[in-house]
Order: sequence, then structure tokens, then C-alpha cells
Amino acid sequence: MTKTSLQKLLFAIMLVMLLALAACGGDDNESGDTDSDNDSTTEESEANEDGLFSIDDFSNIKSNEGEAIEGGSFTYGLVSDTAFEGTLNWNFYSGNPDAEVITWFDEALLTWDENYVYTNDGAATYEADGNTFTFTIRDNVNWHDGEPVTAEDWLFAHEVIGHPDYDGPRYGTDFTNIEGMEEYHAGEADTISGIEVVDEKTLKITYKEVTPSLVTGSIWTYPLAKHIFEDIPVADMSSSDAVRKNPIGFGPFKVETIVPGESVTYTKNEDYWRGEPKLDSVTLKVINPTVVVNELETGGVDTVSSFPVDQYPDNSDLSNVEFLGNVDRAFTYMGFKLGKWDGDAGKVVPDPNAKMANKNLRQAMWHAVDNSAVADNFYHGLRWNATTLIPPSHPEFHDESNPGREYDVDKANELLDEAGYVDTNDDGFREDPDGEELVINFASMSGGDTAEPIAQYYIQSWENVGLKVELVDGRLMEFNTFYDRVEADDPEIDIYQGAWGVGIDIDPRGLWGETAAYNYTRWTSEENESLLADGVSEEAFEVEYRQEVYKEWQELMVEEVPAFPTLYRSVVVPVNNRVHNYAIGDGTGIYLHELAVTQEEPIVAE
Amino acid sequence: MWKFTIRRILIMIPQIILLSVLIFALAKMMPGDALSGMVDPNVDPERLEEIRDKLGWNDPWHVQYADWVGGLVQGDLGQSFRFKMPVTELVGERIVNTFWLSIATLFFTYLIAIPLGITSGRYNDTWLDQSITSYTYIGFATPLFIFALVMLWVFGFMLGWFPTSGSVSPGLQPGTFEYVMSKITHLILPAISMALITTVSTVQYLRSEIIDTKQKDFILTARAKGASETRVYNRHILRNSLLPIAAFLGFEITGLIGGTVFIETIFGYPGMGLLFFESIQLRDYSVVTAVVLLFGIASILGALLSDIILSLVDPRIRIK
Repeated sequence: MTKTSLQKLLFAIMLVMLLALAACGGDDNESGDTDSDNDSTTEESEANEDGLFSIDDFSNIKSNEGEAIEGGSFTYGLVSDTAFEGTLNWNFYSGNPDAEVITWFDEALLTWDENYVYTNDGAATYEADGNTFTFTIRDNVNWHDGEPVTAEDWLFAHEVIGHPDYDGPRYGTDFTNIEGMEEYHAGEADTISGIEVVDEKTLKITYKEVTPSLVTGSIWTYPLAKHIFEDIPVADMSSSDAVRKNPIGFGPFKVETIVPGESVTYTKNEDYWRGEPKLDSVTLKVINPTVVVNELETGGVDTVSSFPVDQYPDNSDLSNVEFLGNVDRAFTYMGFKLGKWDGDAGKVVPDPNAKMANKNLRQAMWHAVDNSAVADNFYHGLRWNATTLIPPSHPEFHDESNPGREYDVDKANELLDEAGYVDTNDDGFREDPDGEELVINFASMSGGDTAEPIAQYYIQSWENVGLKVELVDGRLMEFNTFYDRVEADDPEIDIYQGAWGVGIDIDPRGLWGETAAYNYTRWTSEENESLLADGVSEEAFEVEYRQEVYKEWQELMVEEVPAFPTLYRSVVVPVNNRVHNYAIGDGTGIYLHELAVTQEEPIVAE
Repeated sequence: MWKFTIRRILIMIPQIILLSVLIFALAKMMPGDALSGMVDPNVDPERLEEIRDKLGWNDPWHVQYADWVGGLVQGDLGQSFRFKMPVTELVGERIVNTFWLSIATLFFTYLIAIPLGITSGRYNDTWLDQSITSYTYIGFATPLFIFALVMLWVFGFMLGWFPTSGSVSPGLQPGTFEYVMSKITHLILPAISMALITTVSTVQYLRSEIIDTKQKDFILTARAKGASETRVYNRHILRNSLLPIAAFLGFEITGLIGGTVFIETIFGYPGMGLLFFESIQLRDYSVVTAVVLLFGIASILGALLSDIILSLVDPRIRIK
């Protein structure tokens, strides 16, 4: 290599380096610009004067601009820092990424409305007669290979999930509630006595107990194609090619190719029972959370499965997308450890001598924190102060009139004084009623930039009312450690900050009932139990009665405070402007076969 | 020579056994398991306990270890809980990607290192050398995952020259020309990003070797014989200086393993590094242990390779 060519090469490399450095600098400027742009535009539209957003200003249904074209393709970004697992069948999957993949090609036989109650608009209809439900599958519902979806397939799904060799997580109370299921699971019976195939398209299931919960998500509505899975042993089904490589469903799109863990392409299912889909094809690809915004800007994806809420304020003015928003079925809460879990009896045992057993103390700790400040400062209003333990994602049962416990330092001090928590040794912190020093141990999870400051904020707030609260081990806990220790009732933990996703079924027994292992507070009372039982009783089929019961229950929880909700959450999802008929949330009446686009390529940000 | 190699291989056996115990113990010490934190109202906690029992996660550790090693000996790495498929199959799927990524990275590493090292060594203490040395120091100081993100942003998103994630475009049929080309274009950016950072140690190594060799007596002799400067450099200095670099190859492979974990995560490139990362997050024990074991074995083999090359090159270090 001659000297001159070497120098040229070197020059080129230096240039590349310079570019990389310049890019670093450019990045900073860029984000600075968007910040200021954001301020000016948001004042006009979404944010109020304080630069805060409100979920009420969002629609969960995409507005349709322009004229849709025939056919076209759509790209869906599955946001995940892990590859999807590839268990592509409703009956076997366990991770959420897989569910996102399956949604495009398979669906439930029953659909539900915005209150999460099953409707008769789906691929099957149902009729209840006492404890027996009769399901009728529509005649034009066929698997992708042309075979009809039959009652036999639906029964087969139940048989597989109830089989002792079944390796998925679905078998549970929803199934043991079916007559004869437990006998079948134990191997004492060859068939499930409570399920009867009446004819090709009609199935009857007899349940042991019929509660309002049954029709909000407790019926198994995913058939399993018997003509394909029949010959595969149950233990091998989840790893079979019929699940992993050539998955089948009866949804609007068919799977065309799968690159394991990376991407899936779909083509339209012309024989779809609701009608031929408008799009020709759909591509789903996994994208890393760090590049979500870039992918959206460049039109690499039309929409994404989830969008980090903390990035919304900087990107609210992206020109090529419309942000849809909805109230999340989840909330953050602060739980008090009030007892133990008795594994043998399978129930919680409250401990009246627990450190946090004093009701006034718990009430005061709620009054002491200003959740609105946390919501505004860390989440720009996209999370907001929570009031009761039933979130507004269930508007039917969330009690709007219940204010929870408001931020009120004087009230907190008063409650503590009243209960005898006073500072006897002048160290600035209150001692417990026996005069012993009181140190409350607080467990909180690490993750994200805001976990630490938020935990510190709460500790500071409690210090303001004279309570000494310390982080367990002096630091935040990693996710797995946190759940391990909270679950095991580690005596080191007195309070913990957790998050809870609420099922589509509102029944709170799964988290707050006496027999719920997830009742991490280990608190219960007779009144609690009776209200929870009333909520799923025969009378509770009357919505007003059920509302009344849950209203009382929410009041009870505000009074007893075994845990208090801190923040309600929202989901924000950007969708490219070329997309028509897209919606997030439940019961919108918009289905994937109607999805359409106005031009061949996604619109790129200006 | 053979004696040395065989002896060196024999040492590997206790190394691998010790490695397997360590890996297993560490994996089991990780808090939680694949089911912890699955606080889902639709999943019955009793069902989770049932699964734990069935999969033997509640057995004492030595029983689990014996099961695992028993499988290993038969070439069975176990069943992945998350992916619901045999680990061998899963690893087989991913290792191909990592293999090509590593080859491409090595290629770029040497493509950058050799000309830069030679220039830097030959014209040492000139502005040219100083700028190359500055680059190597910047390279040493730059964290790979930040650099990779910047590269992705500049070349992937801003300029749009390369695809931004995955190992192949969706929807292509394996075996076609487009498929192969798509694989290659998906490789280039991650490979260059990693090479630009990992190459710096090789550049420095080569530079100091050349400077060292330059002052040896035989170079003086060569010059005295009237050999041209180009001949001196290409024939005498370069040859002698490259030998240790060749020996460095084994360690380079070891270094790549650490790099792939970051690179594959950032570029969403499904290889062994990403598999390692996600199986730790998801507590998929059988995959974690298998992947770490393979990484460990790769490192041991890398060291072996280096030792063998070194002993070929330099007989002095052979163990007697």
C-alpha cells in the first residue's frame, strides 16, 4: 500500500469518526429543539398551561383522514427487548409478545363489549339456561385450511388444557368450575361430563357455579383444531410444528412466514367469516424499545404494541402519527404487610400485632403523600392520582364519587397523634404507641429512571409527618427479588410499592380475597369477605346491585387501607396517519379485517 | 508439539467440569424463576406451583444438577420453559446468526486493524500515528452499547443505509438470492459497529510490535544489505509482527462473545447474545445454563487455539 492511498484511507476513517462525533452532538441539539417545539404546540392543543396532558383528550379510535386504497400492507411493531417465544396458539402461549402475534391470525369465539361482558357479535353466540350454557358457532367460521371450526374443536381445547400432560399455564379455576373437569384432570374419567357436543356447531357446557364473573372472561373461548392436533401427544403439542412453524387459526389473516423471534408476515384470509379483509398483507416485526420513536418517524412501522409513556411529551408533535390513548387496566399501589400466607390451608392469616396493623398509621401514610405531584412531575399527567382500588378502566364499577384519601399533612399528623405515635425522644421521628422506635421498611422495584426519585419522594413525604421509612437493604430491588420476597412474606418488608394489572373481570377476589395467594398484603376481614362474595352472587347479575356492593367495598378499603392505590395509568399508542379503522381498548366494534391504508407507503415525519 | 497440545486439552476437562458447577450454582442462585412475578389474574397460583413441581424446580439442587449433567452427556441441553422447545434446537436456530456475525466482525476488525497498525507503527510519532493512536484511545473509552446506538441512529435511521433490526427482512424465502443478500445487509452495520470498537486493541498491539521489530538487529542488517524500505517493511517487519497478532485470534473470539450480548440486543439481532440476555431476564434456567456453558467452552477453546498458535510460532513457550 502506497503512502498516498494510506493517507486517503486514513482520511476517510477520520471523516467517519468525525461524523459519529458530530452525530452525538446533533442528537443533543435535536432533542433540545423538539422540547421547545413541543412546548409551543402543546399549548394550543393537548397540554394545559402547566404542560400537562390528560387522558381525557385522547381518543381510542383512529380518525380516518383521506380515502383508503384497495389492498395495501401494514407493518406492526412488537415492542420488546426479548424475541417472541413462538408458542403461537391461544391454548399454549404464556408470554404477552406471543399473544400479540396470535391476535392477527386467530381470535376468540366470543367477543366482549366495553364493559367486558360477552356479546353475541362474535364467531359464536351463547345462551344461558341455569348452569348450562349453549354455544352456537356461526356456519361460515372456518379454519384457514378450509375445515369448519366445530363444537368438537372447542371441546378438544378443554380436553387438552385439562389433560394431566398439558404444560401451559391456563388450567385453573376457570376450568375446575366445569362439571366433571377435576375428575378428568385427575385421570378418573375419560371425558368431561359437563361438556356436551350437541351437533357440529353447537356445544353445551355445564358450570358448577354461575357468577357474573363467568360472562366477563371466565369461559374458555379458544377452540383447538382437532383435525391437526389429534395425532400429537398432549405433552408435545406446544413444541410441535403446528404451533411453532405452521400455526393455524380462523382470524382475518393467515401466517405466511415466520422468522423465529423476529418477524412474521401474514396474508389476508379471503374466507374470513366477517368478510374479506381490506389489507392484502400484514408484517409484524420485533423492535427494541430504544428505537421505537425512530421507527415511527421513518415509517418503519405503522403502529406499535406499546409506547413508553415517558417519551410522549417529547414526541407528542410527531407529524406523521396520531396518538390514541386509553385508560390502562392497571394501577400502582402501596401495600402494607399485615399477616402471613398459610400455604397448607391456602389462605391468608392476618396478624393483629403486625407493625403496620394500626389503622390510623396506614390512613396517615396515605394522607401524607401527594400522588398528584408525582403524576404531574414524573408522568406529565399521563398517570394521575388514584382514589380507589377499582380503576377507571372499569367505568361501570369505579366509584367516581369516592375521593379516596386526599393529600393532607395536617390530617395525617392528627391521625398519628390520636393513635399515640408521638416523638418521645426528640429525634424528629415518631415512636410507636409503646414508645419503641419505629422504622418502617419499604420495598420498591428498580427499573426506569424514575424508580429511584419516586421512592425517595415517598420516603421524604413520610418523613414530613415524622415517620421514619427506609428502603429495605437501602436500595431498590430487582423485579424477581422483589416478588420473591414479597411473596414469601419477608419480615424485613413492612410496606411495598407494586403494580397490579386488573383482569377484564372486575371481581377483586383474585387480589384481595382470603384465599388469594396474590393477596400480598395478607389482610382480610369478615366484612371484606362478605362484600366480595356478594359481588359474585346470584343477585349480582343485576348490575346496579353489583355496583352498590363494589361501591361499599371500595369505601371499606379506603377506611381500612390494607393498601392504597397511588397512580392510575394510561396507554398511549401512536398510529401512522395513513391508517384507517384502528382502535385500542375493548368493545370498540372495530375489527382487524376493516383495517385499511390510504397509500402504499407509511407517511414519514417531516 | 503434539504432546503440548494433548496436555493442553487434558487441562480443559477439569476446567469444563468446574465451569459447569459454577454456572449451575450461579443460575440457581438467581432470585426468582421463570414463573415469578407472573401476577396475572387469569392464571391460578396453584397451577404455577403444579408446574414448578412437575418441572422439578422444587427438587434439591444436587438432584437438579445430576439431571442436567446426565442430559448434557447425552447431548441433551434440556427443554426451554419459555420457548417450549428443546434448548439444542433453540441454540441451533440462533448460533448460525451469531456465527456469521462473528465472522463478519472478525473480518472488519482485521480489515481496520492491519492498515492502521502498520501505518501507525511505520510512521510512529508523526501526526498520522498520533491521530490513529487518538482513535484507539477514544475506542478504548467508548462504551460499546452507546457507540452501537449512535451508529444505529446515524446509519440506520438518519441516512437509512442499513436495516435497523432483525437478521433478515420479513417475508423472504430461505435459499433465494434476496434472502442471502438481506442477511448480509443486516449483518454489516452491527459487525462494523462492533469491529470499530474491538479493533483498537489489535491496532495498538500491532503498532507496538512493529515499532519493536523496527529496532531489531536483523532489520539493520536488511537495510545494510540495501533492501528497499518497502521490502524491509513488507518482508521483514510485517511478517514478524503479525505472528503475535495471529496468536491473538483466540482471545479475539472470547472478546466477541461479550460484545455480541450488547450488539445483538441493540440491533434486535436474534443470536446467542440476545438469547443469553433474554433468558436471564425471563429466568429460563435451562437456556441460561446452556448458553453460558457454550460461551465458556468457546472461551476455553479460544484460549486453547491461541496457545496452540503461539506454541507454533514461538517454541520457547511450549510446556515441557
